[in-house]
Amino acid sequence: VSLLVRGKEVLKRPVVTLDGEDVAQVKDVVYAPDGGSVVGFTLAGRGLFAGPRSEVLSWSSVHALGRDAVMISGADALGPPDQLDADADDEDGGRGARRGRGGRGGRSNVLGARVLTDDGTDIGEVVDVVLQVDGAADVVGYELEASAALGTEGRKVLVPLPDTLAVSDEALIVPAAATEYVAEDLSGFGAAVEAFRRRLRGERS
Amino acid sequence: VRFAEAEGRDVVSTASAKTIARVDALLVDAGTRRVAGLKLKKYAGDGDTLAWEDLHAFGRDVVTIDSTDGIRPAEGRLAELAGKDKRLVGKRLLEESGTELGRVEEVEFDPATGAVTTLLTSTEEIAGERLLGVGSYAVVVRRAT
Repeated sequence: VSLLVRGKEVLKRPVVTLDGEDVAQVKDVVYAPDGGSVVGFTLAGRGLFAGPRSEVLSWSSVHALGRDAVMISGADALGPPDQLDADADDEDGGRGARRGRGGRGGRSNVLGARVLTDDGTDIGEVVDVVLQVDGAADVVGYELEASAALGTEGRKVLVPLPDTLAVSDEALIVPAAATEYVAEDLSGFGAAVEAFRRRLRGERS
Repeated sequence: VRFAEAEGRDVVSTASAKTIARVDALLVDAGTRRVAGLKLKKYAGDGDTLAWEDLHAFGRDVVTIDSTDGIRPAEGRLAELAGKDKRLVGKRLLEESGTELGRVEEVEFDPATGAVTTLLTSTEEIAGERLLGVGSYAVVVRRAT
C-alpha cells in the first residue's frame, strides 16, 4: 500500500527506533539531483533546545516513513553527512539527472519555482512536493499556488508529474495534459497520478 | 490477566503461609514478549525485585513463592526493565509503519507463562506477539498480518 504525503508534512516528524526511542527529528527532506526521489533527511535533535544534528538519515536506512513517525531499525541507522551526497551521486549516475536549476540540485528544493506547461502556459508556483512512499519515496506531484490559467487562481492545487521532466533555472516544464489531472487534496491524487502517467505512456507508444 | 489487576496482588510464601510483599509492577521484556519479573513493595527484607523463574505461581488471588531467596535488589536486565522507559501502560503506541495507533491503556498477560497476550488501546486490541520494542517515546508493534 503506498502512501501520499506532502514534503512539508514530514518536517519535524520524529525519527523513532523499533525499540521505541525518538533519536532525532526531520529537519529537511533531501532530494536526488534530478528531483525525482528522496535520498534522505537532515536531522535535528529532539526537545525544545535541541539544535541541528550533524548525522543524517539516508533513505536506504529508513524502515518506514509513516504518518506519525519515520521509523529506523536502531540509532546506528544514522550516518555521517556525506552519506547523502554519495546516495545523490548514485542517483545521478543511474538516471542521467539534470543539474540545472539550483533549486533542484541535491540539497535544495523546487519551492518557489514556476511551473510551465509544454504549450507555454504558466500554471503556478510550487509551494510543496507530493511524495509517494512505496519502498522508495518518489516525487509524484507538486502542490502549486495556481495561476489564473487553472481557473482557481490563488488556490492550492495538486498537479501530477511525469516520470521525468525538464527543469532549468527559470521553471519546470510539465506536459499540458497535467492540468486535466489536477486535484484539490491528496485523497484521489494517487489515482490522478497513475491515470496521467498511463496516458503519457499511451501517447508515446 | 490485566496488569491493573495483577499489580497490587499479595505475594505469599508457601513456606510460612504469610504475606511477605505486594506486587508493585510487572516488568516486561519486549525481546521475549514476556513478563520477565516483578517489582515488589512492602517487603521487609532487602531487595524489591523477583525474576519470573523464582515464582511458584501467579495465582488467581495471590502470587506464591517458595522462598524469599529470589527477592533481590534490581540488577542487570531486570534493573533496566524496571525503568520508566520500559513501562507499557500510558505510552504512545506506534506501528512499525510509522503510524500511531493510540495509547496503551492496558496490557494482558498469561499468568501461566508470563507471555504478553494483548495490548489494549481505547479502540483496539493488539496481539502481544506483535510487540517489537518499548522505549522512552513509544511502544512499537509489528504490522498486522
